[in-house]
Amino acid sequence: MLTAIEFMLAPFVVCLLLIGINIYFGIHVIKREIIFIDIALAQIAALGGTIAGILHDLLPSSAEHAHNEHTIWWYLFAIGFTTAAALLFSLLKSRRLSLPLESLIGIAYAVAATGAVVILDKAAGGELHVHDMVAGSILWVNWHQITVLFFVFALIGLFHFKFRKKFFALTDAYNDENTYYHFWWDFLFYATFGIAVVFSVQVGGILTIFAFLIIPASTSALFSNKWSTRILFGWGLGTIVTVCGLYLSWAMDVPSSPTVILFLGVFLLLAILVRRLGILEFLVDGGKNI
Amino acid sequence: MIENIIFLAAPITACILLAGILGYFGNHILSRGIIFIDIALAQIAALGSMIGLLLGYADGSAAVSYLSLLFTVLVISVFSLTKFEKQVIPQEAIIGIIYGIGLGIAMLLAEKIPGGSNYISKTITGNILWVTWENVFHCIFIFVPIALIHFLLRRHFINISASKNNLPYSLNKVRLFELIFYISFAIVVVYAVPIGGIFLVFVLLIAPTAIATLFTQKWSHRFFWSWMIGIIGSFAGIYLSYEIDISNGPAIVCLLGILVFMFALAKIFVQKMKRS
Repeated sequence: MLTAIEFMLAPFVVCLLLIGINIYFGIHVIKREIIFIDIALAQIAALGGTIAGILHDLLPSSAEHAHNEHTIWWYLFAIGFTTAAALLFSLLKSRRLSLPLESLIGIAYAVAATGAVVILDKAAGGELHVHDMVAGSILWVNWHQITVLFFVFALIGLFHFKFRKKFFALTDAYNDENTYYHFWWDFLFYATFGIAVVFSVQVGGILTIFAFLIIPASTSALFSNKWSTRILFGWGLGTIVTVCGLYLSWAMDVPSSPTVILFLGVFLLLAILVRRLGILEFLVDGGKNI
Repeated sequence: MIENIIFLAAPITACILLAGILGYFGNHILSRGIIFIDIALAQIAALGSMIGLLLGYADGSAAVSYLSLLFTVLVISVFSLTKFEKQVIPQEAIIGIIYGIGLGIAMLLAEKIPGGSNYISKTITGNILWVTWENVFHCIFIFVPIALIHFLLRRHFINISASKNNLPYSLNKVRLFELIFYISFAIVVVYAVPIGGIFLVFVLLIAPTAIATLFTQKWSHRFFWSWMIGIIGSFAGIYLSYEIDISNGPAIVCLLGILVFMFALAKIFVQKMKRS
């Protein structure tokens, strides 16, 4: 048991950090109905990173760097690209385009994914590897990465906490026709979310982050409409499920990410059942009837 | 030139067919706001194939294909029953969850199958230039009956897609139509993705209708223009891929995709000019 804890401590802590930031954003994402945005942003970031890698290889003084850790240039390009995407998305939402934003997000995702293939195809000559971070490397995270994540997420978290009224109002009115809209706050939402996605996906992998984003927030939506309740519920659920999932993947020697995701799914199904059967009604406040 | 056209005859036909059927479904998908459904379906189909392989059938055999189709139809049937009067969890989120769990299971199973990583969504490729006349005839046999069913039931599907928060019929009647709609859609996706690849199918589904919907709200116009734009985009993409020597799938995807953004930004610009 002690070895399990020792081995799992860093992964557990990083999961807490990932859960913390992504469940908060997840509630925004579900309310705005832009479900696949993090997959799109991760792909756009990867495109930026690929370009950084190619430029890096083209420079005469390119030095060796470890394959698993990206250079500062990778991060700069990745975040630059997601910020540009943030600008695009907030611009295209700010006027009524009669198109759901999700369709534009989807197209951006497809263009970024195939664009990366084309660019690599054309420019590849050297040692450029693109790791498709689907599974992530939670089990191999080191304390240096955890510290970086902590500071980045804390900054974003504080920013969102300070201006929470603005962000909540913007999201709640997102799909209404004639209401409250501020371009710059929307841009800041997507820009900060983009930064969170870039750092999250590097450690957790696209699939795990997607699951953290969507599943707990969906589960909490069954029970409440209030922001505070949804956030706390999501955090609580996410923590419990991750502990179970990590322990089980250790005990049964299976990959951790899919296990955690399956657990999240199972809890969602249980939650739907609970609501259907009317048990635990006292937990519900303002949640809609199933 | 003539030899090129003869050589390209099968791919051209395939493009016209795919642009037509995907453009049609795309209009409904866009109005319903369940954009990523085909990516989710492709992953579920891949998972179905993996299950077939695990059960011992040979790779590429008919048994695996049918199992994959059956599995996909099963999953999408469950999904179509998640339509409610008031959606607490948006349907797109349900699709996302299905996709995430499907991908998770696929990753767990991928270790147990030789070549398992081929079934993880993004690597599902296809090349429309390699399409054979056999593929094209299969498509015609499958798409035409589906098109017929949709033509007969078109009013109903449009009513459901166009209704935002209320149901045009009773819940059970809506769910029945949803079942027909999604099962036929799933069949189309399962046959289209191996031909064109997952991103080409996705873009042919969403991009032409996005451009058309920017300019008109009438369903008949949207259907017509999304088909035309799909055809023109495919041809232009194939031509472009030949000229600058890149793969044709990505060429079509990037061309159509960038066109969407250009049109969208242009429309905003025009609106802004009109306002000032």
